Amino acid sequence: MIHAHLDIQLIAIVTAVACALPGVFLVLRRMTLMSDAISHAILPGIVLAFFLTESLSSPLLILAAAGTGVLTVLFVELLQRTKLVKEDAAIGLTFPALFSIGVILISRFAGNVHLDMDAVLLGELAYAPLNRLKVFGYDLGPVALSVMGGILGLNLVFILLFYKELKLVTFDASLAAALGFAPTLLHYGLMTFVSVTVVGAFDAVGSILVVALIAGPPATAYLMTDKLSRMLILSAIIGSVNAVSGYWVAFLFDVSIAGSIATMTLLIFCFIFLVVPNRGLIAIARRHARQKWEFAQTMLVIHLFNHEGLPEAEAESAIEGLHEHLSWDPSFTNQVVRYALHNRCVSQTETQLTLTERGRAVAQQALVE
Amino acid sequence: MEASEPKAIEVTDLTVAYQDKPVLWDIDLDVPPGVLLAIVGPNGAGKTTLIKAVLGLVRPAAGNVLIYDKPYEAQRRIVGYVPQRGSVDWDFPTNVLDVVTMGCYGALGWIRRPGRKERELAMQALEQVGMEAYTTRQISQLSGGQQQRVFLARALVQDATVYLMDEPFQGVDATTERAIVTLLQKLRADGKTVVVVHHDLQTVADYFDWVMLLNIRRIASGPVPEVFTSDNLRETYGGRLGFMK
Repeated sequence: MIHAHLDIQLIAIVTAVACALPGVFLVLRRMTLMSDAISHAILPGIVLAFFLTESLSSPLLILAAAGTGVLTVLFVELLQRTKLVKEDAAIGLTFPALFSIGVILISRFAGNVHLDMDAVLLGELAYAPLNRLKVFGYDLGPVALSVMGGILGLNLVFILLFYKELKLVTFDASLAAALGFAPTLLHYGLMTFVSVTVVGAFDAVGSILVVALIAGPPATAYLMTDKLSRMLILSAIIGSVNAVSGYWVAFLFDVSIAGSIATMTLLIFCFIFLVVPNRGLIAIARRHARQKWEFAQTMLVIHLFNHEGLPEAEAESAIEGLHEHLSWDPSFTNQVVRYALHNRCVSQTETQLTLTERGRAVAQQALVE
Repeated sequence: MEASEPKAIEVTDLTVAYQDKPVLWDIDLDVPPGVLLAIVGPNGAGKTTLIKAVLGLVRPAAGNVLIYDKPYEAQRRIVGYVPQRGSVDWDFPTNVLDVVTMGCYGALGWIRRPGRKERELAMQALEQVGMEAYTTRQISQLSGGQQQRVFLARALVQDATVYLMDEPFQGVDATTERAIVTLLQKLRADGKTVVVVHHDLQTVADYFDWVMLLNIRRIASGPVPEVFTSDNLRETYGGRLGFMK
């Protein structure tokens, strides 16, 4: 089964990258929930196309589903434009209704057909390698791999060609419009590619994982870089890492592959969220801790500075009573004194603290600001 | 009358409405070339909408806008636009130079990417607004005044003949305000036409040579000494002008 290992991971990686690339623009446009809506709302499109073609592998299925996806976006935006419904509620109204229509159609007219709910939600990644693409008797690998490879190629071409336009329209739609770059056209163009991606990925990995793959890697990459092109590349890498690590977790614990990949997506996001330099939680906590000591040190030197050379100076700068003067906890006071000594802002003579040149400069600087 | 001279901007009978609520009523406005014009009026007077209507960003219910005798669509390349600073997401993953380079996108057209020439133009524009030291700075790490200067540099890159600026003085520090005023006056000296949505009545006479008073309809427009009168201001702002003489 070495082959199946490889096939499944390849499908997962290609799907993850195909989702992550348009996902970057959805995350930046604050529209990730739209992918959730699309991934559910395409069901009636798939079912209706199935009734027409009576085949589950017809390319018409993808087209019909992608069409339903774009219609979903259109419908949500029409609702929103009435100003009577906000975007989240418009999404919440639209996609469950469309999804349910799909469910009703299946249960009423296609009860005996293979289109079951588990597959819809979680996909059948484990069985994907069994469905193979054969041309003139040659085995060209799993169908899902070719489909997702093709979709990944389409996404790549779209984003490479219109990178500049997508960037401008996402950052500043009104300038894009003023310069003649048709924001609405680009928006629906992007939404068409998202729909096609979601439909293809939905067949391979189910609707839950589609949303995880669209939102997770870009949101993770967003924490790591300040550059759009790097965010796209990082998203693709993170998506692949999520896919492979999720696959092996599923293999080791004998659980759902799609479920494991979605879980790994969250875990890897959390990990990056903690450790990323500058804006990660650990970096922020460290900065806050440092600021706390810096500030306490500044208070201390200003206190010494204010009383320097005055009659009460001896009492005010005695180490013994310092915590009472500042109303600080004694052990905290000790730590601050040690911190200031370490930074050479103060020097110690038996019972007294005196400002160094540096400490005086710090105090003056703080008072000027 | 010098009817033969072309107008930089000519707005005739422009009405803009959201559903049945009028935002601009039958506006007429002639802006001659080479003036520095402030659009002033209370909140909700339609100042931003007027600029957006000139740029074709909102569809008028009636009326017409011409830029040098042609519709905006034919004149995109000679019109520079500075939107309100708050209209974009400053957490977007990009840096100062990249944002300024966006000013070249119109000249590049679809698909073609900016190259070295465009980056050089962007650098020159950044020097003009005194931001050349910030080229690689992430845009979320700029102060409000610096963000505004980046937006101005982006418009300068467009190398336009007519500039439309929406509240460039909004929330900027004194240094930036002076830098912007100097820049506006330089643009006028170069023969450009600059239209600025402005909210500080105190500085209108110092900064601008023309003014338009707007409150859904046009109250008056013309050279500041003729038009910027207390009668016109009272008509524009109603009774809310206690601080004016």
